[in-house]
Amino acid sequence: MARMKFYCDAERCIECNGCVTACKNENEVPWGVNRRRVVTIKDGERGERSLSVACMHCSDAPCAAVCPVDCFYTTKEGVVLHDKDICIGCGYCFYACPFGAPQFPEDGAFASRGKMDKCTFCAGGPEETGSADEFRKYGRNRLAEGKLPLCAEMCATKALLAGDANVIADIYRQRVVNRAASSLAHGVELQRQKFRATPERERTRTRGSEG
Amino acid sequence: MRHWWVWVWLCLGATLFPPVHAAGPSTDKVLNPGAELWNEVRGRQAAPATTQVQGRDSQVLVNEWGEHFRDYRRQRFVRYSGYLLAGVVSLLLLYHLLHGGLEVTESGRKVLRFELTERIVHWLLAGVFLLLTVTGVVLAFGRFVVLPWSGPEVFAVIASASKEGHNLFGPLFIVALLWFFVLFVGRNLPRLVDIYWLIRAGGMLGGGHPAAGFFNGGEKIWFWILTIGGLAVSTSGVVLDFPALVEGRNPLVLALVVHGIAAVVLIAASFGHMYLGTLGVKGSLEGMKSGLVDEAWAHAHHVLWYEELNRKAQAESSAREQGQ
Repeated sequence: MARMKFYCDAERCIECNGCVTACKNENEVPWGVNRRRVVTIKDGERGERSLSVACMHCSDAPCAAVCPVDCFYTTKEGVVLHDKDICIGCGYCFYACPFGAPQFPEDGAFASRGKMDKCTFCAGGPEETGSADEFRKYGRNRLAEGKLPLCAEMCATKALLAGDANVIADIYRQRVVNRAASSLAHGVELQRQKFRATPERERTRTRGSEG
Repeated sequence: MRHWWVWVWLCLGATLFPPVHAAGPSTDKVLNPGAELWNEVRGRQAAPATTQVQGRDSQVLVNEWGEHFRDYRRQRFVRYSGYLLAGVVSLLLLYHLLHGGLEVTESGRKVLRFELTERIVHWLLAGVFLLLTVTGVVLAFGRFVVLPWSGPEVFAVIASASKEGHNLFGPLFIVALLWFFVLFVGRNLPRLVDIYWLIRAGGMLGGGHPAAGFFNGGEKIWFWILTIGGLAVSTSGVVLDFPALVEGRNPLVLALVVHGIAAVVLIAASFGHMYLGTLGVKGSLEGMKSGLVDEAWAHAHHVLWYEELNRKAQAESSAREQGQ
């Protein structure tokens, strides 16, 4: 049985936010809710990297552990889903989640939380597969149609990968090997391709030698 | 040790040819790019991350408090507060079975103990407290206690109603608490006689009933537990009720932890208060219902207050005689 996983390749993500848009459009998620977001670290500096994050469908999901009504369940494909008919919108899952995946539409008085909404790996929810109720509450069930999550399928640089964990891991491993090989071919040490921005003194030295 | 010379050569080799990394360029220049990226992802570096998505903590990639919150809720809060509440109930039950409630022979003459306003505010506070206790306990322990019995569908209704009710009636608790505080704080200031009362444990150690004013030392302790605990649950409750007041998720987690601990302490103490107000000391409940208590009850439990009442009555009657 496949175990579904996302993987975002920081070397490829170009922060186009196509995955965010694709997800919002495909699942028609409520206002103020973004099931997926792109976070950029060292924005504008050397060593800038972007990562697309959503629910990572943990094997031992903290959200499920802290939920006061036990509304989470894991499908046989390893997708963590929740039942909005049981959810009370308390927000505990958001406090426990390492990735900030659970989102809450502000639909009550005084901006109180509505029922939680999060990435479903495009696998719908506990309603009847393909039903209107399922789409209204949880969005598209693409897995049932034999498709993968749209965010990953739409990704222009193929930074965001989704699918069986073993396949994803193989693809990524291949990429790492190729990158190492190409940097060796260009005579550059892998460790010299620092993530860290160039130190100030080194930068001025380079400028001085050029000028 | 036939091969001792191997060790000698190895040691010699180690001194003559030190490991490459020690002799090579300084290690701080060659950083593992993966490790640095990971440190940034975990938010350990000062540089803040950015994102296009507007939301609570949306720029945070990894929530550092998440596992702590999970550990607190599942391993500590539910377990230890369960122990505390069950322990207090068992202690009270044991005390009642061994000792029984206190009773005094009624004299038939009644004195006024609580004014109507005081009684109304007390029962308003008590009513809201009970409602918040029941709904709060459902939210904290329902998954482990109610859900296995009721099934998810029924429990969803109970839990949803509990959450809405808890959020809705929470602010009323603050109003009732402040009003109650204003009415009763004057009679709950600590006195020397309360310390004596507490040392004697209210007479539970034998040797007769120690003297007490309008409220005894135990009642005063409950009053201050209620005030301080009430303030803690109220402040944290306002934050939880109106999440828009704070930014990020850590203040909310902090508020939830404070709220839970303070609430459990309050509930445990309220069990003691409820027991002593009903079964523990007979005649007390009547005082909060009708406002009247028996003179014998007043003399037995609050003798200083009783004497003060008598002095006042005598002063009034003598003043009346002088007026005539």
